Amino acid sequence: MFDFSIVSQWIHGLLTSVMPEWAAVLIECVLVALVIITLYAVFAIALIYFERKVCAFFQCRIGPNRVGKWGLLQVFADVFKMLTKEIINMRNSDRFLHNLAPFLVIVASMLTFSCLPWNKGAHILDFNVGVFFLLAASSIGVVGILLAGWSSNNKYSLIGAMRSGAQIISYELSIGMTMLTMIALTGTMQLSEIVQQQADYGWNICRGHIPAIIAFLVYLIAGNAECNRGPFDLPESESELTAGYHTEYSGMHFGFYYLAEYLNLFITAGIATAIFLGGWAPIYFPGLDGFNDVMAYIPGIVWFVGKTVVVVFLLMWMRWTFPRLRIDQILSLEWKYLVPISMLNLVLMALVVAFGVHF
Amino acid sequence: MNEEKTYLGGLLGGLKTLCVGLKTTMREFVTPKITEQYPENRDELKMFDRFRGSLVMPHNENNEHRCVACGLCQMACPNGTINVKSEMYETEDGKKKKRLVSYEYNLGSCMFCQLCVRACPHGAITFDQSFENAVFDRSKLIKKLNREDSKVIEKK
Amino acid sequence: METPENNKVNAPAGAAPAAGARPAAVRPAAPAAPAQPAKNLCEPKTVEPAALRKEMERLRRDEQMDFLECLTGMDWGEEGGLGVIYHLESTATGKRVALKTATTDREHPYLPTVSDLWDIANIYEREVYDFYGIIFTGHPDMRRIFMREDWVGFPFRKDSNPEKDNPLRMTNEPLTDLAPCYTLEADGTVRRSETPIFGEDDYVVNLGPQHPSTHGVLHFRIKLEGETIKKVDPILGYIHRGVEKLNESLTYPQTLALTDRLDYLGAMQNRHALCMCIEQAMGVEVSERVQYIRTIMDELQRIDSHILFFSCLCQDLGATTAFLYGFRDREKILDIFEETCGGRLILNYNTIGGVMADIHPNFVKRVKEFIPYMRHNIQEYFDVFINNVIFRNRAEGVGVLSKEQVISFGCTGGTGRASGWHNDVRKRMPYAMYGKVDFKEITRTEGDSFARCMIRMDEILESLNIIEQLIDNIPEGPFQEKMKPIIKVPEGTYYSAVEGSRGEFGVLLESRGDKFPYRLHYRSTGLPLVAVMDTACSGNMIADLITIGGTVDYVVPDIDR
Repeated sequence: MFDFSIVSQWIHGLLTSVMPEWAAVLIECVLVALVIITLYAVFAIALIYFERKVCAFFQCRIGPNRVGKWGLLQVFADVFKMLTKEIINMRNSDRFLHNLAPFLVIVASMLTFSCLPWNKGAHILDFNVGVFFLLAASSIGVVGILLAGWSSNNKYSLIGAMRSGAQIISYELSIGMTMLTMIALTGTMQLSEIVQQQADYGWNICRGHIPAIIAFLVYLIAGNAECNRGPFDLPESESELTAGYHTEYSGMHFGFYYLAEYLNLFITAGIATAIFLGGWAPIYFPGLDGFNDVMAYIPGIVWFVGKTVVVVFLLMWMRWTFPRLRIDQILSLEWKYLVPISMLNLVLMALVVAFGVHF
Repeated sequence: MNEEKTYLGGLLGGLKTLCVGLKTTMREFVTPKITEQYPENRDELKMFDRFRGSLVMPHNENNEHRCVACGLCQMACPNGTINVKSEMYETEDGKKKKRLVSYEYNLGSCMFCQLCVRACPHGAITFDQSFENAVFDRSKLIKKLNREDSKVIEKK
Repeated sequence: METPENNKVNAPAGAAPAAGARPAAVRPAAPAAPAQPAKNLCEPKTVEPAALRKEMERLRRDEQMDFLECLTGMDWGEEGGLGVIYHLESTATGKRVALKTATTDREHPYLPTVSDLWDIANIYEREVYDFYGIIFTGHPDMRRIFMREDWVGFPFRKDSNPEKDNPLRMTNEPLTDLAPCYTLEADGTVRRSETPIFGEDDYVVNLGPQHPSTHGVLHFRIKLEGETIKKVDPILGYIHRGVEKLNESLTYPQTLALTDRLDYLGAMQNRHALCMCIEQAMGVEVSERVQYIRTIMDELQRIDSHILFFSCLCQDLGATTAFLYGFRDREKILDIFEETCGGRLILNYNTIGGVMADIHPNFVKRVKEFIPYMRHNIQEYFDVFINNVIFRNRAEGVGVLSKEQVISFGCTGGTGRASGWHNDVRKRMPYAMYGKVDFKEITRTEGDSFARCMIRMDEILESLNIIEQLIDNIPEGPFQEKMKPIIKVPEGTYYSAVEGSRGEFGVLLESRGDKFPYRLHYRSTGLPLVAVMDTACSGNMIADLITIGGTVDYVVPDIDR
């Protein structure tokens, strides 16, 4: 497997040979930031296109097919349209918070985005409490949403924001619990380490068998709820609250929410891939050496993105099948079903690890 | 959850219905789509022959129509969509007759109730199947249905 | 001011013109009325305003007239006065009664309210007040309902000139927060009092007029406590077009064109009702072929409407995919319609004495293809949405309406039948072919949103059964009876009803023998459904309002006629 750290160390070496260490780090930081933002935008656009096509196919439609071949340029056209739109400030809204809120959401999303392990040696943020950092960073987003609802001076927005607060804070619990389950299995919180283990010993979802599968399912549901996506999209619930917390946003401020929503979907799927499905580790069947060798030739980043897209598709499939839940149902699903299940599951995993019955 | 259902039974039953839903949508996902691509299929797109696109006055190859300017259609119209202008003239044998000068039809206020077509005793007007009626200016919606220098078909 | 027997229509030859003369017995309206001259002629019994309350209470209590079918405001001119026609029915005995009352005081027309006897009278009387200016003493909320609050005059009065006093206003519509109430004091004077609709500290959210799930331009003011709804105040009239007033200056064939634009999902049935009303009044018998065609078309329209009901419910509840499944199947019906009628939504098919054109040669084939197609595809609706645990939890036990409530609110159609009220006009007063085909009236007893949804699904299947029985046996015959060029309806007051897609659609026609109707009132199917929203929603959550609004299935152009 190709180790990306060779590249990054080569760049670092090149830079330090012509300039002092601090300048090299500074340039690297800028480079990384540029890469992150570009990737972020590219993935968001790709995902929006992907979602529109997938959703259309579920709905007996064709989806975008007018702008460019197969509608490939549709999203670009949408983005340009959004960029040209006026950003409207509401009278009687809290202007500072109103303008700040979308940035909080996008910052949270970007911070989490940088935690994703793309390839062996290709992590942007990777340290020993990686999972913990990830959870913390993703929670900033809810602040943005609450602020948006509060500062808009709109009743729909406020209700949407309150729903969102209740929902995200509740589901954080399940996410934390499922992560804990997997940390119990792997014994580390460092994402690169978790993935490396899976490359060595097999994917966690197979290693941890029953508890891991349960944790994976719970994670998928809770993760979907974390992104405020259907069937958990009631903070914006179009048919009740028109657009929920972002009712009053226009132009690129709305665009930030839009981008963040799709990226959060990708991030949720990416984390699921990293923790349960082996991250960049290729498929490995013991005994099938020829097959395994071929698989190992495929670069890790392809594996990672491929698996993530599969998970994204799963989430979209759910979204475009189910009706929206009601706020009390969302909370009872979390507190009456997911939390007890993931607690039991944690105990189960602890037993599995203690008795060494995992693979 | 229903009271009579147990915790686990309710959960599994619910999951089952969700899976049925997922199965259904997946089946649709792979079903060929029936969407018609409109501007591309212009050639083969044919409206049903009873479709009411806009009012027309058919003319024959001699530039003749059947309208005798009796004004019944104008009276039948609930919206004042039709405006028939006629003039009196004297035929060679000295009889006074009425003939059509212009037949104005306002597509913008027509509600396609077909009363004018039914009222016409001579079958002079009918609805055609054109549906691309959008224009940029409202004044273009007012159409003159009789062609230039057209005459009424003389009874033999 | 008592003005009984003021209408010459209702003063049969030889009847005593003396004031206060009362017919001895209550004359039931159609269909039990004597066949001459027309079988839908309803001769309302005249009651003086002073005696109205007592008579109404007697009918409500002693004769169990628990269903106020229709309440129509009337202007019988200077001498006849302003008045109201009431249509009552007993759900227990099926007996029907029509009454009328009037006052000649045009400056201060006061009539006693019946809104405490029938819940639906509340909104009907507001409508009458809005259009005729009749003030119902004792009514708790005498606000305008369709017109703007700052409207001057009462547009449906025969002597009003609305355009003179009401220039196009460029200001926003003011909304009052006070509900005026007029009470009749013991000394005969009327005292006006005002009660606030919402309290000072109430958290009021406006749902609409522009809102994704109000199914049109409908406006609810909702008082919330957290997410719980405490009160719903519907504000109507954003798309009111005054169809009933327009009709008074249109010839009978011209009035038909407007019926398709009331409840656009019941265009066939609406037009059927009006055509039937006029035909019966004129004593025209349409051919059996026309009856078959109309019945089949009505049922196709019902399926169309119920599919759209399902689709919109899915959309409201966030299941966008199922929404498009419904539209996919509805397309088939629309194609069938378009081929025969030439229109998809505005069908323009029924005429007085027949139908616009004979059925298309492909019609039978297409319909027969559609029946198995729909039976197969409806399973998909159940799989993807109705049996889904999320929808079940959102709909079961939500917005429960008891049988008494739906009757009192006059919620006919699927909403009433979901609560166990057998109100199907096709069974109550069979018309067209409904007396001869074999079909079940679908009812349920739960009265919740889920029952309302299931009623519609079962009715789709039942409608398919009806069509299946008829489609092979359409007899030969003319598709249009020969009518005179100018259609005049004999003098009289007529009422006909059909089972529309969402309840009883009634037509009340008062003719003075002209080629124009003197008054043409439609019993809207949607108005009771909106009126019941407050009762159905209170105590539920915002999300439930969407579910309830979706399942009671109102269509706004039908409310705002």
